[in-house]
Amino acid sequence: MLLKQSKGYQVIISWFESRGLRPFEFQEQTWMHIIQCDSGLVNAPTGCGKTFSVFLGALIDFINEYPLDYQKKSRNHLRLLWITPLRALAKDIGRAMKEVIEELGMQWQVGIRNGDTEINERQKQNRQMPEVLIITPESLHLLLAQKNYPEIFKWVKILAVDEWHELLGSKRGVQVELAVSRIANILETDAPYQFSLWGISATIGNLEQARDVLVAPIMNKIKKPTVIVRAKIDKRIEIESVIPDEIEKYPWAGHLGLKLIHKVIPIIQKSRTTLIFINTRGMSERWYQEILNVAPELAGAVALHHGSIDLELRQWVEEALHKGILKAVVCTASLDLGVDFRPVETVIQVGSPKGVARFLQRAGRSGHQPGELSKIFFLPTHSLELVEAAALKTAMKQNFIESREPMILCFDVLIQYLGTLAIGEGFYPDPIFNEIASTWCFREIKKEEWQQVLHFITEGGEALQQYDEYRKIEIINGLYKINSRRIAMRHRLHIGTIVSDSMMKVKFLSGGYVGVIEEYFISRLNPGDVFTLAGRTLEFIMIKDMTAIVKKSTAKKSIVPSWNGGRMPLSANLGLMLRKKFNEVHHLLENNPRQREDIDLELQVLKPLFELQDSLSHIPKENELLIEQIETGDGFHLFVYPFEGRLVHEAMAALLAFRISRIIPISFSFAMNDYGFELLSDQPVPVDDSNVYELFSEEGLSADIQRSVNSAEMARRKFRDVAVIGGLIFQGYPGEYKKTRHLQSSAGLLFNVFSEYDPHNLLLRQAYHEVMEQQMEEVRLRNMLERISRSEIILRFPERLTPFCFPLKVDSMREDLSSEKLEDRVKKMQQQLSRDLEKKRVK
Amino acid sequence: MQSPVSHKILGQQFWLTIDRTMFWEEEKALVVSDLHFGKTGHFRKSGIAVPASLYKEDLQRLIVQIQYFQPRELIIVGDMFHSSANKELELFLRWRSDLSGIGIRLVRGNHDILREDWYASAGIQLSQQTLSRQQFHFVHDITDQLAKRNGFIKYEKGVKAYFFSGHIHPGIRIDGTGRQSLYFPCFYFGKKYAVLPAFSRFTGTAAIYPESEDQVFAIVNQELIQLQ
Repeated sequence: MLLKQSKGYQVIISWFESRGLRPFEFQEQTWMHIIQCDSGLVNAPTGCGKTFSVFLGALIDFINEYPLDYQKKSRNHLRLLWITPLRALAKDIGRAMKEVIEELGMQWQVGIRNGDTEINERQKQNRQMPEVLIITPESLHLLLAQKNYPEIFKWVKILAVDEWHELLGSKRGVQVELAVSRIANILETDAPYQFSLWGISATIGNLEQARDVLVAPIMNKIKKPTVIVRAKIDKRIEIESVIPDEIEKYPWAGHLGLKLIHKVIPIIQKSRTTLIFINTRGMSERWYQEILNVAPELAGAVALHHGSIDLELRQWVEEALHKGILKAVVCTASLDLGVDFRPVETVIQVGSPKGVARFLQRAGRSGHQPGELSKIFFLPTHSLELVEAAALKTAMKQNFIESREPMILCFDVLIQYLGTLAIGEGFYPDPIFNEIASTWCFREIKKEEWQQVLHFITEGGEALQQYDEYRKIEIINGLYKINSRRIAMRHRLHIGTIVSDSMMKVKFLSGGYVGVIEEYFISRLNPGDVFTLAGRTLEFIMIKDMTAIVKKSTAKKSIVPSWNGGRMPLSANLGLMLRKKFNEVHHLLENNPRQREDIDLELQVLKPLFELQDSLSHIPKENELLIEQIETGDGFHLFVYPFEGRLVHEAMAALLAFRISRIIPISFSFAMNDYGFELLSDQPVPVDDSNVYELFSEEGLSADIQRSVNSAEMARRKFRDVAVIGGLIFQGYPGEYKKTRHLQSSAGLLFNVFSEYDPHNLLLRQAYHEVMEQQMEEVRLRNMLERISRSEIILRFPERLTPFCFPLKVDSMREDLSSEKLEDRVKKMQQQLSRDLEKKRVK
Repeated sequence: MQSPVSHKILGQQFWLTIDRTMFWEEEKALVVSDLHFGKTGHFRKSGIAVPASLYKEDLQRLIVQIQYFQPRELIIVGDMFHSSANKELELFLRWRSDLSGIGIRLVRGNHDILREDWYASAGIQLSQQTLSRQQFHFVHDITDQLAKRNGFIKYEKGVKAYFFSGHIHPGIRIDGTGRQSLYFPCFYFGKKYAVLPAFSRFTGTAAIYPESEDQVFAIVNQELIQLQ
């Protein structure tokens, strides 16, 4: 059928015309594909009508099916299933859809289903499904846990996954893959196969792969190629760096950018509303305080927004942002996503955004209407970070945006999913295996692994034969089913893959709720300690009923909590761009007037710093790796600058330390940041031209990593998420803490138990696998070593600390490598302590 | 395996083992705490698949200790059983009948919620609050005693009392230079009371913060190390 001659198209076009609008080209393209029953991906930025590409396509398709009575037909079953990662977006999208349906005089219903949906609304939906259902991946899985779920889904014509770039690369994305694999197969058996599957995604580096991951489960059915529709909409973004007045005096590190706060106040005052993005919650608390100290007149017009602040307070801030009554909000990644705040005119990014995509996303939070300019300021927290601003500009120009790597073989999500199916209709393993193996995530699953999964969910792994009472999934005539109502209820409560840290409420002694804070932070506080939360200075009094009780404090000094989450490493793309920028620095230093004009302002400003670096040591070109060896009072330092991000550096530091310690007995402590890493020893480090290439060789990488990194400790941290998702940790019923007390256990304890008594357990192995893939970024590490093998390694022996190494010495995270036995380490630490004590006594 | 470590309290001889038991030589009593028998079964019954071999090994470790010390009685300072009865306890009963010569004295812990006749039929003598031998007293949760005003049993002048307790599952953190930090289960001996480590391997720990005159033995892999 030709789109433009179809009744549906004409109805929609006249609706556009009645509003004085015209559809974008990419919208029309999508409609055409939808009426042809194609599947694929729509690539469009937010705020550019991406919802209307797929949604109006669904309407056109329906009108074409019922050209005469499309306005009268009601109760048409669920036709458009719309998956969105964000609850907050559902309402806005639903509202926009309802408006169109009403204006067209149609009878379609739009339903929303997520954790906020009232129970009577859900029941209403169960009796009569609306034509459009907007749902989160978690709630979709809950629907799959219902009896008769095939009845709900078998009429679906279009399945849309909104913000697919956000879901891809996470376990929620795997949930979507599994749900798609199930729904696509219900359709086949009960209805003629006319189904289209659409992802909607912002620009990422691997759009094609993003599409392939999504459509993998239907590829063997549709038998025709899938498409990518790209919106050609240019979003104008202007980047301006906040540049210190005298670069010579701007600290090389260690002040969180607060030295530039006086330059921020005029920016705030000039714009209607400004968002100030800060990388960590701790730093955002400091910034909020400082803004109020420097500009007290802004009190009441500045707010703080991060993940540990009370939900109600956060919602109030968001509401106030909508209304435009705030001048500025200091925030973290907590405001990265979600609905648009129209009044935001300006964004300030403090410190490295760590990646191109994230920077663009944040920039896009301002000027949020098609055609409007997005304005973002970059404020460096140390001098060298200005190079990042220059790198970001170029990366943006070249559209050099990061990829999202899809996840592979997430057994925890699979185990949860099988439990979900077992609650509802139950399942037969063979057809479900085929469905699962059709997804991207599990396409490499082996038969043995599948058997292990089945064994785990039915027999509970390792058992004591006649004394065992394991009960979860039972097999009745070949059907895998959960029959216990209690177990089913517990499973339903645990559907989902977002695992938060165990949080503790913080309340005033006099009553009144402040926010939540990680339990481990509170556990390190003593009564009387003063800390900052939600912009308030608080004195810790005690813990009572799982709540930290505090009172207001006027103390000048306070501990700023360091939160675990959100420490993203520098992306590979930004790292590459940074290394390229140093090429330009050479032009700058050569004083070549012709090329100088093209050099970024940020680099020009940094000239004195580069001259110092160049005279003390060297500035590495793109195809060079710089190593500096410096002797100070602390000992012998070895600094290496691969610009590959903190996680890769952490693994690399451990690896290098291990390889050096094979040459001579030596022990190191090491530090790393996003630019490089440092090895520190009490004896000279034997690295020179004769062995340096060997030390960075790819050969034996896997084996050396296993031996050099404490992967058990890292896997233990990963295991918590895996164990919660895989159903090993029961977090209790809401408001029913006591009854399940005897089922409480910590992830750390379970990790020990499994390591010792069931070391081949799938979930345990998955934790180790995730360490290698995500924590160590093994692929990136390998790529880096491969790059280094083609590069020239430059060894320098500077007289004193250089501008490059300074941030590493001051702001980095420190770890140590030890090959000593645990028992010996304890004894050594004890001796150290007693020596320190003696010293004190002598004084 | 490391041989037991000697520890003297009020002139009596105690032996601490890496397997989280304490042998009282004069009374020929093996003292343990927080066995949590049946815990794996309790979890498994609820669909949480923890490896059950852990429970079997816990039982075997206890047998090895009994064979080594040949005690007259077993004193358990609470939480012998994790929860309500399940099939795993049948394994315990079979084991119990093989060792009928030993008396078992249990000071009731908060997890010991089985019916009283069950304990009797298993040959376990139950004390509700405190079990006393000479000037030594066994309780489950020492903080209960501390909370009561004058909670410590009083003696005539010159007679000292000492308490053994469990419940806490004590752990100790050791900090070194360069932000090193390690964490282990431990035996804790204060001036007036001791806290024993949890015997079961399916138990977590809670950090304790000893005073400088207290004694602490950390359980580090295969070695007991006295930290202070």
